[in-house]
Amino acid sequence: MRRTLPVALGFLAVALALYPLEATGYGLRVGLQLFMWIALAQSWNLISGLTGYVSFGHVVFFGTGAYTASLLVNAGMPWPLACLSGGAAGALLALIIGWPCLRLKGPYFAIAMLGLNEVMRVIVSYAEGLTGGGNGLSLPTLDASRSIYYAMGLVAAAVTAVTYAIVTSRFGLRLMTIREDEVAAEAMGIDTLRYKIYAFMLSAIGPGIVGGLSARDQGYIEPISVFPLIMTITMIVMALFGGKGTIWGPVLGAVVLFIFQEAVWARFVYLHQLLFGAIIVAVVLLMPRGILGVLQQKYNLPRTI
Amino acid sequence: MSVLITPTMVGQVVISGLLAGSIYALVALGLGLIFGVMRVLNVAHGPLMMLGAYTTFGLFQRFGLNPYLSVLVSMPLLFLIGVVLQRFLVRRVVDAPELSSLLLTFGLSIALVNLAQLAFTSDLRSVEYLTGSFVVGPFAFSKPRLAACAFAVTITAGSFLFLRGTRLGKAIRAVSQSREVAQVCGIDVQRIHLLTFGLGSALAAAGGSLVAVMVAIQPEMGQVYTFKSFLVIVLGGAGNYPGALLGGLLLGLVEQLSSLFLTAQVNEAVAYVLLVLVLLIRPTGLLKGRV
Repeated sequence: MRRTLPVALGFLAVALALYPLEATGYGLRVGLQLFMWIALAQSWNLISGLTGYVSFGHVVFFGTGAYTASLLVNAGMPWPLACLSGGAAGALLALIIGWPCLRLKGPYFAIAMLGLNEVMRVIVSYAEGLTGGGNGLSLPTLDASRSIYYAMGLVAAAVTAVTYAIVTSRFGLRLMTIREDEVAAEAMGIDTLRYKIYAFMLSAIGPGIVGGLSARDQGYIEPISVFPLIMTITMIVMALFGGKGTIWGPVLGAVVLFIFQEAVWARFVYLHQLLFGAIIVAVVLLMPRGILGVLQQKYNLPRTI
Repeated sequence: MSVLITPTMVGQVVISGLLAGSIYALVALGLGLIFGVMRVLNVAHGPLMMLGAYTTFGLFQRFGLNPYLSVLVSMPLLFLIGVVLQRFLVRRVVDAPELSSLLLTFGLSIALVNLAQLAFTSDLRSVEYLTGSFVVGPFAFSKPRLAACAFAVTITAGSFLFLRGTRLGKAIRAVSQSREVAQVCGIDVQRIHLLTFGLGSALAAAGGSLVAVMVAIQPEMGQVYTFKSFLVIVLGGAGNYPGALLGGLLLGLVEQLSSLFLTAQVNEAVAYVLLVLVLLIRPTGLLKGRV
C-alpha cells in the first residue's frame, strides 16, 4: 500500500496530463470542472472537515476570486497572475471575516457565513461602476482551455497536498483537537482562534484561485453565477459523501457525484433540484460519515487516508 | 442623495419599518421556536412560508376566499406538513451535529421549491385584495400592510399565550429548557418535537398568507425570508418570544432607515453588519432567554 499508492498516483497524473492532447472541447471542459469541484470540496474540508466549523457560505471566496481576477485581467494583468491574486483576495476576506466570526460557536458561524455570501452578492451587484452590477462583467476573449485545464488540475492537486501535509502535522492535530473539544484544546494551551483563522485562510485560497480560473474560462461572470448558495451545498455534499475530515474523501466524493451529475441527473431538467434535494437528504441520513469514514471504522484504516 | 430628509419622511419610514417588521417577527417566531426546542436551524422555513402563500392564492383564485381568513386553512395545512416532515426526516437529525440539520433542511428546501415550480409554474402570481392607504395627518398607512400587521400581532400574541398559559405550551417550554428533566417529568419529548415543528411551520404559513396580498407569489419567494428569520432570531435571542418580536421590528426599521439614508439595495448589507455586531457583542441576542 505504502509503495503502490505513490506509483498509482504518478500514473494517474501522467494520464491526466496527456488527456488534453486527445480530448474534445467538451471532454476538456468536463475534466476542468471535475478539477474545480475537487479543489472546492477539498478546500471546504480544510476548514469544516478538520475544525468542525461549518462554512455555510464557502462559495463567497469563489465569487470574490472570480471578481478580483476578472477586474485585474480587464486592467491588463496576465490571467495566471490575476487568478493567483483572486486566491490572495479570498485569503484576505477570510482573515477579515474570520477574525470576528470564528469566535462564534455552533450554528452561529454557519449563519454568519451564509449571510456573508448574501451580502457580498448584494455589494457586487450594487457597485455598478466597478463590477458592472447585475449586468455582469465580460473578459476579453482568449482560447486557453488547455492551460486552464492544467491550472485547475494543479490547484486541485495542491489543495489535496496541503490537506495531506496538514493532517500529518502538529498543525493538523491542533485543528482536529479543536473539532473534538475546543475547551480542552484551549486548556492544553492551543491558541484556538489563531489556528482556526490560519485554517480558514488556507481554505479560502483554493476557491479564490479556482473562481478566477473559472471566470477566465467562461469569459463572463455575473453576481448570481458566482455567488450561488447551491454551489456551497454541492461542495459540502461532495466532501460529506466521500468522508469529511479525511484526505481522499473529498476527492472521491467530488469524482463520484460529479460523474453522476454529468451522466444521470443533468438529463432531468425539470426534476434536477428535486433529485439533488433527495440526494442531500439521503447522504445526510444514510451515510453522514461518508464512504471513507465508514471504511475507516470498519477496517480500522489509518487516520491519514 | 441631494434630497432633503425631513422629519415627516423619517416618521413615515419608521411606520413602514414597524409594519414590515411585524411580519418578520411572525415568520421568525416559527423558526426560533423550532431552533429553541430542537436546536435545528430550519433552512426550509422560507419555502414552507411560500407554501402558505400559495394556499392563500389558490383559495382566493378558486373560491374567492378572503385572504386573511385563509390563514385558518393555511396554518392547519402547514401544521400537518410540518408534522409529517418532522416525523419522517427532521427527527433523525435532532441530535446530530448542526451540519446534518442544515444540509437536510436545505435539501428539503430545494425539493419544495422544485415541487412548487412543477405544481404552480414559476409565473408571478398575485392576490388583488386590499389596495391603497389610510392617510393620517402627514403619514400614510398602506392598508394591506396595516391589516397584515394586525393579524401578525394577533397570531403572535395568541401563540405567546398558548406557550405561557396552556399545559401543552408549558411542556414545549420545558423541553426547550431541558429535555432530560422534561422527560423525567413524564413529557413525551418526541410528541413535543412533532408539535413544535408543526407549530413553527404553521407560523411560517401565516406569514406567507399575510404577505400574499402584498408581494408577488412565486416558488422562490421564501428563501429571502429564511435569511431574514435567521437575522431576527440572532438579533432577538433564539427561542425568545419577546426577543423575536423586538428583533423583527428592529430588522424592519433598519431596512427602511437604510433605504432612506443610503439606498434600498444595501439593506441586506446593513442588516448583516448589525448581525455580526450583535453576534460579537451579545451572542445570546438582545434579550437573553429561552422560549
